[in-house]
Amino acid sequence: MSPVTRWLKPATTAYAHCDVPCGIYDPHQAELAARTVARMVELIGQLPKENASEADRAKFVRCISIKEQHAEIVKHEIQVIWSDYFKPEHVERYPDLHDRTWKILKLASKNKQNIDAAAAAELEAAVKEYADIFWSTKK
Amino acid sequence: MADHSVESGAGGRSSGVSVSTVGRAPTFSWERARDGTWRVAVAEESMAPALVAGDWLLLDPTSGRWPRRGSVVVFHEPETGLLAIKRVAAGPGDRVRISAGILRLGPDEAWLLGDNRAVSVDSRRYGPVPVDALVGRAWFRYAPMSRFGPIPGRGDLRSDR
Repeated sequence: MSPVTRWLKPATTAYAHCDVPCGIYDPHQAELAARTVARMVELIGQLPKENASEADRAKFVRCISIKEQHAEIVKHEIQVIWSDYFKPEHVERYPDLHDRTWKILKLASKNKQNIDAAAAAELEAAVKEYADIFWSTKK
Repeated sequence: MADHSVESGAGGRSSGVSVSTVGRAPTFSWERARDGTWRVAVAEESMAPALVAGDWLLLDPTSGRWPRRGSVVVFHEPETGLLAIKRVAAGPGDRVRISAGILRLGPDEAWLLGDNRAVSVDSRRYGPVPVDALVGRAWFRYAPMSRFGPIPGRGDLRSDR
């Protein structure tokens, strides 16, 4: 995209929401959300453990809230790709697809509940693999 | 495909409220101008062929009122909060015929429908939309170049279909 086009491109999207699948799916949103979860866990870890200032406490709350929101976004995006995009032939090709989906949803919930860098990294990796599978079916 | 019948629960909320204050509501606010959304990209096809996915539009976010019937508006979709784009099928005080009877819109409510009725998720699903949810009126398409130009309103629009 040229710099001019990038400058012209609106930052926001308005959905002419329709009920039929439009055939436009993209796991990028899920990957971004998973990355955000991991980043929030990182930021929370950097906050002082004791004698936190008001600003630190505010930041803590903000990070927690963003972490939970984005874990929820991961769940939503993955569910949409799973239920609306993947077809039986994809499941034939990737027999563990349902299991992978289920595990990502579980992992996202775990990340929502806990502040756990290992779980966040696991989620990021699992979503990345899911995205790879998605793109492989587009070839 | 999902059922598009209107939920009757949407009706009782503000029907019967006087609409006499509507004409005096402020039409312009510097805050809305400063904080508003001026441009959007369209996704999905419920407004086709007037608007299709990939169209880039200019909005006027400065007005705090629903524009006239037939205008295209961007607003926060009830329930999801997502930015949605639809056409004003009926404005404050108008009557809308729904499966449960006639619905009188409140002084700040509009009935928003997608042009592509068969597939659109709109007021038939989520009921009237309060003006607080309004983001702006879409008035111009600046990309793609082949479709460059003002977005026509639709004077022929009837509120009950």
